[in-house]
Amino acid sequence: MSPNNTDQANSMTLPRRTFLTSMSGGLAGIALSSLLHSDEARANSSGWRPPTGQPHFAPKAKNVIWLFMRGGLSHMESFDPKPALNQYAGKSISETPWKHVQDRDKLKRLRVVAVQQDTQRNQLYPLQVGYRKYGQSGIEVSDFFPNIGNCVDDLAIVRSMWTTDDNHGAQIQFQSGRHMLDGFFPTIGAWVSYGLGSLNDNLPRFITMGPRFFDHGEAHYLGPAHDPVALTIDPQNPLPFAKPELQLSHGEQQLEFSLVNQLNQLKAKQYPDDPALLARMKSYELAFRMQRALPSAVDFSEESVKTKEMYGIGNPVTEPFGMQLLAARRFVERGVRFVQIMHGDGAAGAWDAHGGLKSNHTQNSAQVDLPTAGLLCDLKQRGLLKDTVVIFATEFGRTPGTQGGTGRDHHPFGFSVWMAGAGIQSGMVHGATDELGFHAEEHPHYVTDIHATLMHLLGLDARQLEVPGHKRLEIDFGQPITQILA
Amino acid sequence: MRYWQLMLMSLAGGLIASAVVGADPVDYLTQVKPILATKCYACHGALKQEAEFRLDTRAFLLSTGSHVFVPGDSHNSPILLRVSATGDERMPPEGEGAPLTAAEIETLRQWIDQGAQAPDEPPPADPREHWSFKNPRRPIIPAEFHHPESANPIDAFIAEGYQKQNLRPVELAEKRELLRRLYIDLIGLPPTRQQLSDFLADESVNAYEKIVEQLLSSPAYAERWGRHWMDVWRYTDWYGLEEQVRYSQKHIWRWRDWILQSLNEDKPYSQMVVEMLAGDEIAPTDPNVVRATGFLARNYFIFNRTTWLDTTVEHTSKAFLGLTLNCAKCHDHKYDPLSQVDYYRMRAVFEPHQVRLDPVPGETDLDVNGLPRAFDNDLDTPTYIFLRGDEKNPDTTRPIGPGTPAVLSRQDFLPAPINLPAEAYSPELQEFALKDHLAKAGRNIESLRQTLDAAQKQLAQLQNAALDLAANPSIEGANAESPVGAAAAGNSASTTPGEQPTTKTPTVSEAGAAVAVAEKQLAAAQLHPKVLQASYLADVTKAHAPASEKLTELVRSAASLAREYELAQAEAALAQAEQQQPAPSDEAAIKKAMEAVTAAKTKRDEAQTAVGMPGETYPSLYVTRRAANGMIDEETPRHGPYSKISSGRRTALAQWIASRENPLTARVAVNHIWLRHFGQPLVESVDDFGLRAPRPPHQALLDWLSVEFMNNHWSMKHLHRLIVCSRTYRLRSSLLGADPATRRADPENHYYWHHRSTRMESQVVRDSMLQLAGIINLAHGGPNLPTSQESEQFRRTLYFTHASDDRGKFTVMFDDADILACYRRRESIIPQQALALANSKLAMTMSQKIASELQVALGDVDDDTFINTAFETILLLEPTSDERIACRTMLQQTKALLGNEAENLTKDRARQNLVHALLNHNDFITIR
Repeated sequence: MSPNNTDQANSMTLPRRTFLTSMSGGLAGIALSSLLHSDEARANSSGWRPPTGQPHFAPKAKNVIWLFMRGGLSHMESFDPKPALNQYAGKSISETPWKHVQDRDKLKRLRVVAVQQDTQRNQLYPLQVGYRKYGQSGIEVSDFFPNIGNCVDDLAIVRSMWTTDDNHGAQIQFQSGRHMLDGFFPTIGAWVSYGLGSLNDNLPRFITMGPRFFDHGEAHYLGPAHDPVALTIDPQNPLPFAKPELQLSHGEQQLEFSLVNQLNQLKAKQYPDDPALLARMKSYELAFRMQRALPSAVDFSEESVKTKEMYGIGNPVTEPFGMQLLAARRFVERGVRFVQIMHGDGAAGAWDAHGGLKSNHTQNSAQVDLPTAGLLCDLKQRGLLKDTVVIFATEFGRTPGTQGGTGRDHHPFGFSVWMAGAGIQSGMVHGATDELGFHAEEHPHYVTDIHATLMHLLGLDARQLEVPGHKRLEIDFGQPITQILA
Repeated sequence: MRYWQLMLMSLAGGLIASAVVGADPVDYLTQVKPILATKCYACHGALKQEAEFRLDTRAFLLSTGSHVFVPGDSHNSPILLRVSATGDERMPPEGEGAPLTAAEIETLRQWIDQGAQAPDEPPPADPREHWSFKNPRRPIIPAEFHHPESANPIDAFIAEGYQKQNLRPVELAEKRELLRRLYIDLIGLPPTRQQLSDFLADESVNAYEKIVEQLLSSPAYAERWGRHWMDVWRYTDWYGLEEQVRYSQKHIWRWRDWILQSLNEDKPYSQMVVEMLAGDEIAPTDPNVVRATGFLARNYFIFNRTTWLDTTVEHTSKAFLGLTLNCAKCHDHKYDPLSQVDYYRMRAVFEPHQVRLDPVPGETDLDVNGLPRAFDNDLDTPTYIFLRGDEKNPDTTRPIGPGTPAVLSRQDFLPAPINLPAEAYSPELQEFALKDHLAKAGRNIESLRQTLDAAQKQLAQLQNAALDLAANPSIEGANAESPVGAAAAGNSASTTPGEQPTTKTPTVSEAGAAVAVAEKQLAAAQLHPKVLQASYLADVTKAHAPASEKLTELVRSAASLAREYELAQAEAALAQAEQQQPAPSDEAAIKKAMEAVTAAKTKRDEAQTAVGMPGETYPSLYVTRRAANGMIDEETPRHGPYSKISSGRRTALAQWIASRENPLTARVAVNHIWLRHFGQPLVESVDDFGLRAPRPPHQALLDWLSVEFMNNHWSMKHLHRLIVCSRTYRLRSSLLGADPATRRADPENHYYWHHRSTRMESQVVRDSMLQLAGIINLAHGGPNLPTSQESEQFRRTLYFTHASDDRGKFTVMFDDADILACYRRRESIIPQQALALANSKLAMTMSQKIASELQVALGDVDDDTFINTAFETILLLEPTSDERIACRTMLQQTKALLGNEAENLTKDRARQNLVHALLNHNDFITIR
């Protein structure tokens, strides 16, 4: 597999081989997934050129699996134990030695979207779950995540994330780096798709599964070619228009496609050097192959019972997420660059435990814990983890104080994520919140530091990808978290 | 300045220039200048020259002397200290740009140490002299270049380019290619076979021009070009959470219909601009004009007023002026002579405006129908500069007044406040509002009358049954087991054993209470129209005349009727409270019911007292609703009456934009129109005519067209006609046989020596299929249609919902207009498009319909005839023999594959598949 990019339409020549016989292997140097005339035109008049699809420097990773817990996973009940909460349970924050966490200037990062009354949650709420030490590293992980705990020696946990949106627009913010009020900007997955060529032209570069955080694109000014392709784990119909919506046999369709190809080839004689015509022919070729490749990528019949068990397939609690993770492994195996999996239905996201946090997190963690651990083990045993970065994230943490006596509210000032795999140190903790879990205090990282870390691992310099007319701010780029790099 | 000198002193003496050993020579133009350009020019360039120095040529660098740097001596060069400093001393300062990287600093250091060599360069021009900031003057048509067969000035300008660049254009397009191009360009639909054959048969000299006129006068023209302008003006339907509107407005399609109607009428573009920005000020009581302000209503954003106004400022500037004023929100513009003050002056123009829904005749529920519009309401809200663009950090020491960018302003900005007619700030005064509410009250009376009738009937039935039962306890059907009998006997809990419980039948006394309630409710409802009328009369009189005895009388009469109505309502409420008869065992419920009766009695007594002292208050009609300002909008009322004065700011802005003296407006519009005819614009950056837009190769043509546009009442149809009738427009798109030297010299076709092939926009793909299938529904206008119906409803695509969370599944695949901004459609080619055409129900159904249409039209014909006709229908071409052979082979192979079915079935099926393949042909979706 070699990276090849898209925007090289002018160098394309007509394939001599007939259309349907060129099914095997990637087609080198062909502008398949995107051919943007307007980009081309601008490229030629201003000297700017779209990316070549080659990394800017030697990459340490080829693929990303991005797991996202929608709604806001409590950092204090997952990867950032805070015994002080038990000690001071029921007390107001101002009665603890850490009352300074509510100093006005410490809270000024926040950019409120929906103004509500009394969002400060002052009365400290004890931990709703126990913690255990795991592995050689002895890192503590909550009892909601025993299986991920068993993998802790592969993880680099970052306990010092912060963001600025106190509402679920923070989901977008985590992926795009921008607060919702700034508008909409390309997400990290779209940037990776834009910056890196595909490793497999039969499949999309950027796939998303699970509930969407907003029903519009993620690529924005990078163009629809870099929007994620939303898939469902259904070999019969994994994506919109993946198969004829009315009855049409494969044989009939093959004859149609073959005719289209012949007619387009004949047309190309009348329109020599028409890059759009050539690209369209290629897009039909890819579409035809994608029609076959996608269903087979989500068809698990060749997976062993043991593998399926690792992902919790067969157990109704773990199966939905497990299927998506197994598909993710199969996609990275086939060269898909970026697989995004969102967990947790509902408008705000299932993890949004304003009340009943204990039962909420018990239920949700039961759905993701085993499959996530299974994914890590499976990637590792197949040698895929050395090329793949896995990230486990959420839009913000939850308040140390309680909301309504059984839940916790949104908390953008400090929360945890973890990464594992290619180029990432294993079995370590980086950064810390204060004793209450309120502020990211040691090595605070804004969300784009995660993006910068991924770009660094993939060998991309985000500044070189900047598109004319779309100036990015310093904070959009972030800084790689060098301490967790292997 | 002083700072630099101080620093120089502190550095003076003792320092030795470091020896430059072994470093490669640093090149000024390629290595140093780009660093200075991105980091320093914004403040120290031609535009601003802060601290009285500029760094944009070596001559300027040196003229500032050792204040900035010392050639050969980086240690004594303050510039190096400043760029590597931290905190307040750093250049560029925080908020003005990212610090230089270590590598960039090193490059600068080496260049200085190597002697700071640089070639002589002319100083950059004063940005105020930028080409697009100067008014277009009508250039002389270079008539010497006229083509012998064309007197169209466009062709003369274009031919001048050929001559000067030594280019040879291709031939004119053939009739078939041209007709398809023209139809799709002007009306967004391909011609039918009949239209094609008519055109081929018409040998008159003006055959083409006749079609042009016909298409331009068709309402389909407005649907095609209306969609283009909907892109530029960012049309989007509302979205929100359930009923809460968060973005844009309900019924915004009324603005869409205004766009279409304006285009149909060929309303002057300048007039359109004024109506969109200030229709509510120039024609406050004309809903046909006011709806144009949907342009502003569309920017509504519940979460944040600043974001709302920011998008209004940004896109007003981009759409009409081609200015990226948005880049001056946090700091002065980095390239253009636009200051941060300019930005907030523009914001101040919009600061007073709000958005509301007004009623439309025939509907009183604003969620069902209404008119979204702008209006001024916050006349006293000050505008402040937000320091570094941070809304939490306004500079309240300096309120900013409304205005236009200084660089383009030829005269003072003097908005004249407008006294609005009463119907404008109190929409309830419009006659139809009263009429609609009376009709609604009438419907309510009617429905309550029916309720009363039913209640009376039931009571009579029960009373009769009770009488019968008392008279003859043993009669059939009236024993104690039957519901009616049981109820009459006072046992309301009866059901027939072994059956589902039936609806509970009331007792006689319950039925009596129900009659009493219905009577009281009807009595109240019957008073309502009188109250409505009296209140309306009082309000109208009050609005139009100063206080008078008559007014006092009307007010008192309205108040008096209102009190009677309230009493009647209180009586009805009391009757309703008394109707409640909880089970005798439920003490709590009984207590509650008694309390409710007591409360209702108190209210009734109060109402009774009020009738004797009616006062002067009465309920006005509430017919309008201001959009909520934030998730929690505590400002009341949202139903008006609103400000009686409109600031006039938007009118002043609109008139400035729509003025002949504005150098940008006509050029930007002409460029948008040109882009959509040719698939390439005259100015590449269609939304940025600022300094980053170099003088276009065809500036003379652009300027000529702009002046021509303005001289002809800003008529778009005039421009369309000029353009599509030019030879330039009619050139062929194929490069087969084109002059090789021309191809080499201008591969990008900057000089329009051939026509550029383009891809159909998303709407055109769907509309064209519907048209070919002969099932398109050409009804015009009206509420947006649900996207879930895109395969079942055959209206044109622009009428379907277009919102960020709701897009047509098929349409969205073909680079549909971005909701946030779409000054130019993209043309991506992705496999999902192939899948949509190959697999969607829409494309497959249309193929079947086209094929069966052809079968009907052709009757029993052989494959070749079918192929020829299908080709001509879908691609407007005759197939070449190779193409015909390929199609014939496909038909045969398909029939063989389907072999075991009946012969004419396989034939039909194969032909359907052929049509389907032709819809997937590159040249179906391509406009040549």
